[in-house]
Amino acid sequence: MSTQNSTVNLDVPDAVNFLREARPRMSTRGIFVMFLMTLGSSLMFFSTPARGQALAESQSAPSVVQANVKLVIGGDTIKNNSEGTLSVIGNSLQFATAKTKVEVKASSIQDISTSEDSRQNITGAAHFATMAIPYGGGRVLSLFSHQVDVLTVEFKDDGGGYHGTVFVLPQGQAAPFKKQLVTMGAKASVPLAEPPATNK
Amino acid sequence: MKHYARTAPSVLHLFALVCALLLMVGSVTGQTGSGDSKSAQKFSSSSIQIEPTDPGDIPMPPEFRMAIYENLITQITKTGKFQHVYRSGDKDAASASDLVTLHTTARAFTKGSQKKREVTTVSGSTKMTLNVHITDHAGQPIVDREVDGKVRFLGENLRVTYDFSKKVAKIVSVTF
Repeated sequence: MSTQNSTVNLDVPDAVNFLREARPRMSTRGIFVMFLMTLGSSLMFFSTPARGQALAESQSAPSVVQANVKLVIGGDTIKNNSEGTLSVIGNSLQFATAKTKVEVKASSIQDISTSEDSRQNITGAAHFATMAIPYGGGRVLSLFSHQVDVLTVEFKDDGGGYHGTVFVLPQGQAAPFKKQLVTMGAKASVPLAEPPATNK
Repeated sequence: MKHYARTAPSVLHLFALVCALLLMVGSVTGQTGSGDSKSAQKFSSSSIQIEPTDPGDIPMPPEFRMAIYENLITQITKTGKFQHVYRSGDKDAASASDLVTLHTTARAFTKGSQKKREVTTVSGSTKMTLNVHITDHAGQPIVDREVDGKVRFLGENLRVTYDFSKKVAKIVSVTF
């Protein structure tokens, strides 16, 4: 094998010999260039998906989430007084129940406001049942109530139609939604800094 | 006996006459009443557009304004009097030739308390009065009247908007 190589070496032109001679000098540069190329390619191929992944995560991961939110009125495909999870995902406000969900783009929101109210602890059929309690027991139970936040969102659909949606959230949970949506481009007639109007 | 036999028919005649007179009067007044209701002209339109409630000078919370608007759309759709019930700003409404528009303006609003209502029965009711104004395509008024909504004992405050919308839907049913 070595003799063959030597014969070949003799037959090759000068230019090739020159290259062969130059190989040891190229190797240090080559290593450096190779290193740079590897580094560049690694940055090209690995950093871009990572950045993209981060973007995708920021868009898909909800920034504000609240479970046990009641949609009082205004959910087109969702029945009134349905309970679900309210979240800000990407650039939109989303309300999801076990079956369906509605989404409102922050840019389409014409006004967003928060206020406080109170709700009875006992509601629905149980509330009617309490009326049967003798000696005004039902009335006593009506005294037990809790404070809630009311989030009202006014927006326009793709056809220009005006919509209004009213959500009831646990106390103190409406402001973060308003803040987040206003940062995303939603309009609000009442500034953020102002405390919500209490109508008791 | 003969005396009674003679007077009995006359009493009966008198009674029958009075009854007949009463019936006649009743029928006349009844006709007049129905005539009034018939004289209230029935309008026809295939589409209606609902505008959001104008609070005017009344401090009405936004959730009430929105609940009125959404309830009106639901209740008026339920009447089945219109082929299309358009929301405010809907681009498709421009193509409707016989479009009528429903405007509501707040006149009075009192926000009560559910707790007070259910504990005391007599206080804490939520009430509101709004002016309901329906105009035709040319802007001529068809309906212009004050309608109120109340929640007196049971239910959340926002239920007042449902009560109001039901009353407006009834007016719309009678008018169209």
